[in-house]
Amino acid sequence: MASHGTPLALTSGDPSGIGPEIAVAAWRLRNEAQVPAFYLLADPSLVAARARAMGLEVAIVETDPAGAKQLFANALPVVPLAASTVDTPGQPDKGNASSIIEAIDRAVADTFEGRAAAVVTCPIAKKPLYDAGFRFPGHTEYLAHLASVKTGTEITPVMMLAGPDLRAVPVTIHISLSEVPKALTADAIIETVRITAHDLRTRFGIASPRIAVSGLNPHAGEGGAMGHEDERIIRPAVEALKSEGIVAFGPLPADTMFHARARASYDAAICMYHDQALIPAKALAFDETVNVTLGLPFIRTSPDHGTAFDIAGQGIARPDSLIAALKLARQLADVEAKTS
Amino acid sequence: MASSSRTIGITMGDPAGVGPEIICKSLAEMGAADRATIRVFGNRDSLEAAAKIVGAPLKFAATSDGADIVAVEHVAIDGGPIAFGKIDTRAGDASFRFISRAVEAATAGEIGCIVTAPINKEALNLAGHHYDGHTGMLAHLTGSRSSWMLLAAERMSVIHVSTHVSLKDAIARVKPERILETIRTGYRHLRRIGIENPRIAVAGLNPHCGENGLFGTEDDEFIAPAVAAAKTEGIDAYGPVPPDTVFHRAYSGAFDLVVAQYHDQGHIPMKLVAFDTGVNISLGLPIDRTSVDHGTAFDIAGTGKANHVNMNAAIAYARKLAGTPRVTA
Repeated sequence: MASHGTPLALTSGDPSGIGPEIAVAAWRLRNEAQVPAFYLLADPSLVAARARAMGLEVAIVETDPAGAKQLFANALPVVPLAASTVDTPGQPDKGNASSIIEAIDRAVADTFEGRAAAVVTCPIAKKPLYDAGFRFPGHTEYLAHLASVKTGTEITPVMMLAGPDLRAVPVTIHISLSEVPKALTADAIIETVRITAHDLRTRFGIASPRIAVSGLNPHAGEGGAMGHEDERIIRPAVEALKSEGIVAFGPLPADTMFHARARASYDAAICMYHDQALIPAKALAFDETVNVTLGLPFIRTSPDHGTAFDIAGQGIARPDSLIAALKLARQLADVEAKTS
Repeated sequence: MASSSRTIGITMGDPAGVGPEIICKSLAEMGAADRATIRVFGNRDSLEAAAKIVGAPLKFAATSDGADIVAVEHVAIDGGPIAFGKIDTRAGDASFRFISRAVEAATAGEIGCIVTAPINKEALNLAGHHYDGHTGMLAHLTGSRSSWMLLAAERMSVIHVSTHVSLKDAIARVKPERILETIRTGYRHLRRIGIENPRIAVAGLNPHCGENGLFGTEDDEFIAPAVAAAKTEGIDAYGPVPPDTVFHRAYSGAFDLVVAQYHDQGHIPMKLVAFDTGVNISLGLPIDRTSVDHGTAFDIAGTGKANHVNMNAAIAYARKLAGTPRVTA
């Protein structure tokens, strides 16, 4: 599928957000930051207008995916979309929903059909998509849906925050904290760890991944003194994983598992809820953390920030996380191409 | 005997743990004048053994001589010396008595601040003292209804709405009154240590602060009103701020204090940015207390390997508090 040498497919996300400008900024830094070749799925005139607004001289060339790699050194390759766009930086418009979704669909199709090595997505916002009738909570769920349709099997997506010093994987994601204890099951933990261990082997090139599993309660419940989920749900899940040969340990007190010495003992930390993973990930690498979706039949990464409508169009958004997402996608694609 | 509001009382912690040796390391390192303002509440035999282990030329007596003799309020332990690294009921009982004596001294105004070395909860409970740790014990001994845990490091400080309760119970405590009381307590403390108009960020509870109710309503229903109430009292409060970005902003200098809604929300980032230097401070009690932010480390106790950087930080913070008038509101 993803062969060495095909470019990365980058969606521009919500065009009213910072997606188009960080894509331009990432391309401009292609040499000094060693950004791997990508093509942007977007409306070329909107990208050109955004570059002009930022006061940048950027060569933009319309192309198909096959031509992107060769062009990349001298121009930003843009693969145009069929759907029309509304150019209103900072003002999300539901009229852009079709083009936002088309870009994702095409990036996935390109990857399935070998025209792209991986999918990298710029941020989208829920509201304009919901207003237009889109019914998925975010990229991750939608990508899993596309993958399930394509493969005919139910795909469980797993979100990983990957930074230079920490890979953190939350078992539960976008639910209220009060729902977490109810939503947390041994099966969910086991499934998350299996998928994480699998992708660490096949895409990160870690032959025998070591997985640290956090506790839910303070001090991992301290033997049941502060909550029972650690002993009743998490520990049995870890034991089950060990018995199938996965190097897993825990539940660990969440507050002491993220410092440097502790991090040296594992390749990924499985966390019980969104902020348990996001707080240490962002504390360690605020601008360089990448969101990776594991468990999909293709590689997908994205920057770990939102559309930032409040600063869109001003040219001040930092491309660091997008650049990290592009580089990690390339790295994962290359490892997978080698191991498969 | 050194006895004034500037005196720092250090409790020795569990005699089987690293308390005695980190105390000796810190004492050996400080100047004679500073050492003369310390009174250790502990066991003289354990302290002398620890001094030997770490190679510190210290002696312990009822009063300091202003040089190498450190004032100790000796609490006897029956039945011979306590072995390092092992749970011992006598050690649990002794650690309770050190603290209880220190609390009496602090209440009587003989010492200005208590610095606690780590205790072992299991030993404490075996000895019949049923507390969840220092905080509960100090609240009980001083007759306080509630107290707060502040973790302080050079670039970031965090106060917790709740600490040692299950996540479920912690969520139930996220209510406007408790949050507002937490903001006020943090505000008064920061003013006391010299920050005129502290900027206080209040973390949200849910991912992205619930994203307008999509993932939970507590941020809008309980946290936002508490922040608004604090503002009407003239406190420079912000929030709810998304939990995954608030600590980075505080660490970068945007806030003087973060109000964390539960134990791990505050402890995870603090232990990341200040694993060795974070000081634990009890607020809301009628006495002042700082503490090291680590445990008894039975696995290395008695070897002299334990790092005393955290004890130094706890003592330094105690010196800031000792002799500074308490603000009551």
